[in-house]
Amino acid sequence: MTLTIDEHSLKNGVLTLVVTLVEVIQEALEGQAVRRLEGGELTDEEQERLGQALLDLDDALESIKADHGLTASVADLRRGLDDVVDDVVDRLVNPSRWADAQGGETPRGDA
Amino acid sequence: MTDTLARATPSLRTHDSDGAPALQPTRDLHATLPDLVDALLNKGVYLDLDLIITVADIPLIGVNLRAAIAGMETMLEHGMMRGWDERTREWVRQSLARHVPLEPDEDVVARMAGGHRRDEPPTTWRPGTVYLTTRRLLVWRADPRELLWQTDLAEVTEVELRTETSVGGEERERLAVTTGAGTTLLSAAAPERLETLLRERGEAQPRTAPDRSAQVWYREDRSGAPVWRGGTGSLGPDGLTWQGVGDARPAVRLREVRDLQARTGRTPVGRQVLLVTGERGVVRLATRAAAWARALAAAATSGTRSPSTSDTTLTGGDA
Repeated sequence: MTLTIDEHSLKNGVLTLVVTLVEVIQEALEGQAVRRLEGGELTDEEQERLGQALLDLDDALESIKADHGLTASVADLRRGLDDVVDDVVDRLVNPSRWADAQGGETPRGDA
Repeated sequence: MTDTLARATPSLRTHDSDGAPALQPTRDLHATLPDLVDALLNKGVYLDLDLIITVADIPLIGVNLRAAIAGMETMLEHGMMRGWDERTREWVRQSLARHVPLEPDEDVVARMAGGHRRDEPPTTWRPGTVYLTTRRLLVWRADPRELLWQTDLAEVTEVELRTETSVGGEERERLAVTTGAGTTLLSAAAPERLETLLRERGEAQPRTAPDRSAQVWYREDRSGAPVWRGGTGSLGPDGLTWQGVGDARPAVRLREVRDLQARTGRTPVGRQVLLVTGERGVVRLATRAAAWARALAAAATSGTRSPSTSDTTLTGGDA
């Protein structure tokens, strides 16, 4: 699979890549934030500040995407990345499919 | 699973035309990148890596790497970094300088992500957080901390929503805030809400400024066809004056504004004509400056006992 980055505009492509990565990191941070909140160690003030900061980050990312017209290309790139990950995970959990992909060679051990 | 669902909700089956089972059980993993990162962080990754880089089988560089990567909660569960976590949070709690610098009797009315456009070249958008307080409108950046832009609410003469096409070609609503120093474009997560709040604030605080001026058009009744001329309208303690561009003296001078009515008509700035009745007849004005029109309305109602126009019809210009 190939990742198509708009070749007409290098700036657009690079920005798309950066914003996409930031989005992925942001989602990871959000996931961990939820875990910390559920962990129950944070004070009320810290919970409030954390939530507000994540909301601000979300708003800022949305407006950056809209300002530079990246909404569609970021979604595309994310879909592409998700496909790659899906592919890799699928092969990891199903060694038999890996064997299929090797063109019928005998599977080596537990792959 | 399929059967129970289908039995429980018979309508599912009726929707199916070709008699196939209504729901097909599939095992669809569909792992996404965030899922993967999430799983890795929740479980935690421990790397123990020994590596030797050789050239021509001669070891040149040795790498001995131990790394543990996990979400902080997982770290804490395993008893790692606990002290560090506490120290970090303690440090932030003590340095409370991260808040917006507010006056003692100032309160935040609204805050939202946004930014402002710096007008001196290079013209750039500077992102931050837009705060509307009881006194000021300001754009604040938390990190690195800087007050990017601010204005006193009393100095705001006009707020207007503009639709702009961004660099990427998407339509964005901007808020144009005009003060004595000029017009600044703000971006905000919810520009309409900010505009409404600003207007409310503007009306709640009657302007005490001795006189206000704005760009106002005046219909001059020359012999034959009337002509709209652009100029500056001023409201002050000695009434309403209007001076045309390039004129030496004000062409209109009304000691008192007795009545004000809004009519629909063609003007250079929208479809609202302001009929101002003074001591020497009726003057026709038009303006985009909504705040100025409101101030004129206030002058008309306070100057006489005949309230003429409700504020709702006096939104000014093409609002």
